[in-house]
Amino acid sequence: MLVLGVESATDVSGAALADESGVLAAATVARGRRHGETVAPAVHFVCERAGVALGDLDAVAVDVGPGLFTGLRVGVSTAKGLGFALSVPVVEVGSLEALAVEGAARRGPWRVDGAVPALSLVPVVDARRGQVFAGRFRCSAAGEVEQVGEDRLMEPQALARELGGLAQAGSRVVCPGDGAVRYAELVTGAGAVVLEEVRWPDPGVIARLGLSRFRSGGGREASKVTARYLRPADVRINWETRFAAPKASEP
Amino acid sequence: MSASGFRAGTVLGVETSCDETAAAVVQEGSRVLSSVLSSQVDLHATYGGVVPELAGRAHLEVLTPLLADALERAGVSGSPPALDAVAATIGPGLMGSLLVGASEAKALAMAWDLPFVGVNHLEGHLFAALLEDPDVPWPLVVLLVSGGHTLLVSMEGPGRYRRLGATLDDAAGEAFDKVARFLGLGYPGGPAIEQAAAAGDPEAFAFPRPLLDEGLELSFSGLKTAVVRAVRARPDASDADVAASFQAAVVDVLVAKAVRGARSVGARGLCLAGGVAANGPLRVSVSSAAAELGIPVCLPSRAMCTDNAAMVAAAGWWQLEHLGPSPLDTPCDPALSLPFAA
Ligand SMILES: [Zn+2]
Repeated sequence: MLVLGVESATDVSGAALADESGVLAAATVARGRRHGETVAPAVHFVCERAGVALGDLDAVAVDVGPGLFTGLRVGVSTAKGLGFALSVPVVEVGSLEALAVEGAARRGPWRVDGAVPALSLVPVVDARRGQVFAGRFRCSAAGEVEQVGEDRLMEPQALARELGGLAQAGSRVVCPGDGAVRYAELVTGAGAVVLEEVRWPDPGVIARLGLSRFRSGGGREASKVTARYLRPADVRINWETRFAAPKASEP
Repeated sequence: MSASGFRAGTVLGVETSCDETAAAVVQEGSRVLSSVLSSQVDLHATYGGVVPELAGRAHLEVLTPLLADALERAGVSGSPPALDAVAATIGPGLMGSLLVGASEAKALAMAWDLPFVGVNHLEGHLFAALLEDPDVPWPLVVLLVSGGHTLLVSMEGPGRYRRLGATLDDAAGEAFDKVARFLGLGYPGGPAIEQAAAAGDPEAFAFPRPLLDEGLELSFSGLKTAVVRAVRARPDASDADVAASFQAAVVDVLVAKAVRGARSVGARGLCLAGGVAANGPLRVSVSSAAAELGIPVCLPSRAMCTDNAAMVAAAGWWQLEHLGPSPLDTPCDPALSLPFAA
C-alpha cells in the first residue's frame, strides 16, 4: 500500500511517500512561502527517487491545517487534483496532530532514564496577526498520541495560561511548532518546554499518518476535501495591494 | 510538427485568477468542447468588490467538481482522459486564487503525464477574441478592459504584442464598481451602471473625459472623484442621469484611445476584450468607430469577454505549440504583464 503525503501548511513545504515499511522518499523545502513553486516539483522528485509512478498510489494524504491560508490551499488543491485525476481517496491530516506525533517520537528532555513518562503535547502553529493555532494531545508512556478537545485559534497569553494550568496540575508539557518558538518566552514562562527541533509539520509524518488512517478506512473523495482554516476570512478588499505579492503578516 | 515539437491538440484550461472558477476543454485552440464556470458574484456582492480571501476559499471548494463537469461535457472523461495538455492561469490576478488553479492543474498534469502550460490571463483575453473570430487581420488593436485591467495593445499576431497604453490608476471596471457602490446600485458595477443608465440622460452631467486628447494612457480616478463631487452638490439628481453621464464619459475616453491607438499603428482590425467589453454602449461606439476607420471590428460574445477557461485553453494551446510546456516550478505572479516586444 502506497501513500503520498503533501505538506504546505507552514513555512516549510514538501512531499513524501510511505508504505508499510515506512517512508520511502521525502523532500522538504524551507524556501519561505513559495509553496506554489515547490510542492509540485517535490511530488515529482519523491516519486522519481522512490521509483514509483503516481498511478501506483492508493491514496493521497494532505495537511489540511490549520496554518497559512494561501500555503494550505496549494497543498490541498495539489492533493485534490491528484486524488481526482488518479481516482484515489484523499486523507486529511491535521498540522497540529502531525506536530504532536513527531514531537512524541523525538527524544526530548522529558525522557527520563530511557522511559517516557506520560505527558501533554501542545503543538502551536504561528497564525500571524498576534495569534496561534494550538491543540492538546495526551501522549501515553507507550508513545501513543491522542487528542484532547479540538484545534483552536487563540491569543498567546491565553495559551500560556492554559499551559500553566497543565504544568501546575503535574503534567509535563511539551510544545512543538513554529508558534511555540515564536512565543518561546511565554511558553517557557508557563512551565512548558519548547521543542525547537520540531518546528514544522513533516511530509513524512503526513504520509505515515495518512497511510495508517487510510488502512483503517479513512479518506474521502477529492471533491469533498477542504482546508481547515479556523479563522473567518478577512473581508477587506485591499484595492491598492490586491495585485501584489502577499505580505508576511498574512496567514 | 509544431514549432516547439509539442502537439497540443486537446487542452484542458483552468481559470481561477479572480472571482470566477472556470474549466474548459478546447481542441486545436478553436473548438470549444466544453466551458463551465462557477461565479462568485453573490459571495462578493455584499462587499462591493472581490474579497481576496473569500475568493481563494471558494475556488478551492468548487474547482474539482467543475473539472469533472468540464471533462464529462467535453466527452473526454476516460482515465486517463483524452487530453494533450493542462493549461492554467498563472497571473495576473489574486495570489491566493491563482495558486488554487495552478496547483490543481499541475497535479492533473503530473498524474496524467501531460505537459503543464502556465498561461497569462491577459493573453487569454486576447485569445478569447480569436476563438470566435479566427480570421482577424493583423495588426489588431485590442482594448482590454476589465475590473482589474485597462490596456490598449497592438497584436501583430499570436504572441506578438506591443503596448500602446494603459490606465495610470483605476481600471475601467474598477471605476464602474466604485461608482456603482457609491450610488448604491449594487455589484458588479458594470451591469448595474449600464442598467441604471438606460433610463438616464448621458448629458445631464458634463463629467470630465480625463486625458481625452492626450496620448494613449488612460485615467479614471479623477472621473470617479468628479461623480462623487457632482452628486454631493446635487443630491436630488437621479441615479439614472448620474450613471448615464458617467458611462458616457468612460465610453468616450475608451473609444477615443482605441481609435488613436488603431491609427498610430495602422491597425487592420479593432477588437474588444475583458469584462467591460460586455458593456452595450461601448460595443456600439467601438463598432461605429471601426466603421469610420474602415476596418473590421471584433466583438467577442459576452461569455467570451468575461473571465472563462476556454480562453486559457486556447492561449495554452498556442503557447505549447510555439514555446513548449512550463516547468512544474512555474510561479504564479499577481502582477504578471503581457510579454511585450521591445
Ligand atoms: Zn479577466
